[in-house]
Amino acid sequence: MSATALRTVAGPRTRRAPVGRLARRAARAPRSVARVLAGTATVFLLSSLLTFALGAVSDANPAAAVLGETATPADIARLDHEFGLDRPLPEQFGSWLAHALGGDLGRSWFTTVPVSDSIAAALPVDLSIAGLALLFAVLLGAAAGIGAAAGNGGRLDRAVTAVCTVLGTLPAFVLAIALITVVAVQLRLLPSGGYVPFGRDPAQWLRFATLPALALSLDAAAGIARQLRTSLVGALRENYATGAVMRGLPPRRVLFGHVLRNAAGPAVTVLGMSVPMLIGGAVVTERIFNLPGIAQLSLRAAEQHDVPVIQGTLLVTVAVVLVANLAVDAGLLALNPAARKARSAGAVRR
Amino acid sequence: MSAVRTIARQPLGRAALAVLALVALLAAAGGRLAPLDPLAQDPAHLLQGPGGAHLLGTDYLGRDVLSRLLAGTGPSVLAALEAVGAAMLLGVLPGLASVRFAPALAWASLRAVDALMTLPFTLFAIAAVGVLGNGLHQAMLALGVLLAPLFFRVTRAAALGLDRAQYVEAAELMGGGRVYVLRAHVWRKVLPTVAVTTAHALATSLLTVASLTFLGIGVQPPAPTWGGMLASDLGFLSQQPWAPALPAALIMLTVGALNLLADTVRDADPADGPALDTPASNHPADTPKEQADARRPAHA
Amino acid sequence: MPADPPTPEPSPGRPVLTVDGLHVTVAHGRTEAVRDVSFTVRAGEAVALVGESGSGKTLTCRAVLGLLAPGVAVPAGRISLGDTELTGLDERAWRRIRGSRLGAVFQDPGSYLNPSLTVGRQLAEPLRLRLRLSRAEARRRAVDLFAAVGLHDPEAVHDRYPHELSGGMLQRVLIAIAVSGEPELLVADEATTALDTVVQAEVLELLDRLRAERGLALLLVTHDLAVVAEVSDRLLVCYAGEIVEDGPTAEVVAAPAHPYTEALLRVAPLGARGRRELAVIPGRPPEPGTAGPGCRFAPRCTYATDACTAAPVALDPVPGTHRRSVRCLRAADLALQGAAAPDRTPPRTPDREPDRTEVPA
Repeated sequence: MSATALRTVAGPRTRRAPVGRLARRAARAPRSVARVLAGTATVFLLSSLLTFALGAVSDANPAAAVLGETATPADIARLDHEFGLDRPLPEQFGSWLAHALGGDLGRSWFTTVPVSDSIAAALPVDLSIAGLALLFAVLLGAAAGIGAAAGNGGRLDRAVTAVCTVLGTLPAFVLAIALITVVAVQLRLLPSGGYVPFGRDPAQWLRFATLPALALSLDAAAGIARQLRTSLVGALRENYATGAVMRGLPPRRVLFGHVLRNAAGPAVTVLGMSVPMLIGGAVVTERIFNLPGIAQLSLRAAEQHDVPVIQGTLLVTVAVVLVANLAVDAGLLALNPAARKARSAGAVRR
Repeated sequence: MSAVRTIARQPLGRAALAVLALVALLAAAGGRLAPLDPLAQDPAHLLQGPGGAHLLGTDYLGRDVLSRLLAGTGPSVLAALEAVGAAMLLGVLPGLASVRFAPALAWASLRAVDALMTLPFTLFAIAAVGVLGNGLHQAMLALGVLLAPLFFRVTRAAALGLDRAQYVEAAELMGGGRVYVLRAHVWRKVLPTVAVTTAHALATSLLTVASLTFLGIGVQPPAPTWGGMLASDLGFLSQQPWAPALPAALIMLTVGALNLLADTVRDADPADGPALDTPASNHPADTPKEQADARRPAHA
Repeated sequence: MPADPPTPEPSPGRPVLTVDGLHVTVAHGRTEAVRDVSFTVRAGEAVALVGESGSGKTLTCRAVLGLLAPGVAVPAGRISLGDTELTGLDERAWRRIRGSRLGAVFQDPGSYLNPSLTVGRQLAEPLRLRLRLSRAEARRRAVDLFAAVGLHDPEAVHDRYPHELSGGMLQRVLIAIAVSGEPELLVADEATTALDTVVQAEVLELLDRLRAERGLALLLVTHDLAVVAEVSDRLLVCYAGEIVEDGPTAEVVAAPAHPYTEALLRVAPLGARGRRELAVIPGRPPEPGTAGPGCRFAPRCTYATDACTAAPVALDPVPGTHRRSVRCLRAADLALQGAAAPDRTPPRTPDREPDRTEVPA
């Protein structure tokens, strides 16, 4: 109410920055923001418990991992003590989580390299490629979805629907293989594998990152296109679209200025849901394109039964997914001020 | 079996069922249908194209591609079924029961579901294999745990709607026992939703199995799987660029049929079928309806 | 300009909207839902199109606005706005008409506004686009318009989202938007239907004032005769896709010539409230395309004879009147019951303040 009051007396305002508007809306809905944050924290806690439990139920131990068959009971006890595995499980979990929150994920049983160091080296690869993939997904998905909805029932619409259906049935790595075959092997346009960090040479990075990002993005792009088409077609039939037409606005403006804004919500949700998919797909994509990412790290750790690295990669992945979800929630908040309908309406109507 | 008949009445549903029946047949009898030993190497005929003695050609060790495809169907499909079975076990009954949970427990169970849904399938399966030992069963159990929230959510949502439905209340008032009500009323309504989710989960599961076997997780190298064949084809793209197309086509066909089946079941469900929409129909004193019919702008 | 029944002067304004022999088909031409509808709306005149749901009034109105759903078409007839022919206009030409020469308000006004933009911005958008106004100028214009439609604290309303306003306020906002382009014709399609009676009266009063002040031509579409009896000059009664009676409102209300109009009057809360014996007209209109050859109301009509259902009935002048016509064989020999002559001044509501925004201290 107080924020509303401020708005009322503020008088004519000039252009507002979108961030400012978002902050204002967030300020008007402190309760829902708190709820989202509490939910996210709970989910993170539960995921970390699950991640920890995965290690706890296994019979893997550092001695067996490092020494294999030759490990004696004395070796096992010594290494268990070294890694703190002889303590009670709740205590282990508590200290693991506390350290993890402080950025310390323990040391690899194999190399004794800090897990956070390995992840810090690998994560930028994933984040930069996933970021590029997200960009591709949004651009391709939005273009296809909007095009299909604008030409509802037409040739473009049918083509988009068909392509999306096919993409939905393909594993990401099949696409990757197809892209390598066509773009790298046949046309020789881009390298079939390898990686150069963005910080060292952005142009080279783009050369190496484009194919994996494209392969990763297509599934998400198909999801976005399908969702956007459905909600756009629905929204174009809504009364407010008719209202915008009746105001004499051109179709382009009705679509982009009014309908898209309201129809984008579900597509943004799909985008958020595709983040775990992107990371899941990244495992295979990294293998195919030979990228030194977090999934390769996890894969190697799984082969070596290196529990701290497995747990660390999983926990960091969960954190990335949760942050992405929060970003999606913030995006939805920015798109849809009516989410807090009941509260504000009550204040005005009496 | 009336559901199967409903699906079979639609041409697309019929096509999906036919493809799935074929895949099931291959999965059950694939190894025996194989014309040659899927493991036999033929050094004289490496990387051959289709035709001749090898109907679909040979791979880099001279093994018969057709035989490997047929023999590889069983493990891939069985693994996917295993994961979905585990997911149903873990998801459906708790989902139904959760309707009667105390609010705190319901909240906690929903957060647990959220937690499971943040975990990427492949990465979690790899982690599970890493700590539990390299085997398809371990990976599928992990996948089942991650797929369970899907079933939990849809059954909970369906059961929640029904819990407030008056006919369920009436049945309870008339003295129908909890189990009877669950079986006679709730289960029949929840079943289509579960069927749709099962089809989608199977599709997801098949894709994940393909990814895992592609990475060499859960299978010993010489044994053929769809994903494993793709992995070995990857090394010879310049010689046989078309080779990955065969296992990929099988995966696509199966997954596509499952998605199609899910769509058919969903569309056949009378509960949320297409709303009747006849412009200017004459419902007396039903002005909003008339407006809704005439609402669509001409330019759309 | 309150018309004095029973001797109304012919409206002097020039014709703004001319509908001539309009046919509308639905279901891709398979069913005829509107048949041979003709009428004229002049500048400063309010014409009401009244009928039950399915009478074709909404389709007629949508045809005038060029907002026909897919599968709905106008196979015959002409609609012209001033000297512009609207039938067969392309989308680009329609854009120059809508919002500037033609405004519309609808039932459920909130749904016609974009939920995620402030109402002020939605009013200003076409102004800025068409007149190339600056942000500040558009805002000033918008606030003036909000004040002109009787919204209290227009500055505050300008920055409200649709969900923050009440139904009556939203309808005023929609009216402000509709008149922002200074249109010649304003179409109000069931614009007061969902509002409560007091707000309904206020919105009708506002429409009437705008008509008088701006010389606006008003086309009111409604199922409720009581709504328009007091604010319209001319009444067109629709039944099953046809106009069954056409004439000056006061005369038609006082002495209906068609049994259907009489039935509508009987169910409308008009004049002495005590006379309302029935809330509904028994029976229902025929489904489009299923009507017999004769009078479409005959199956529900207490005065029907065999002759009524035998052959098509023409819309003929009512004997002994001028500017009235009726589609009834027995118009000459029936003495139908009307309602008390309505007062053209809408009911005052002194004990209730109009919609207002809370102005926080």
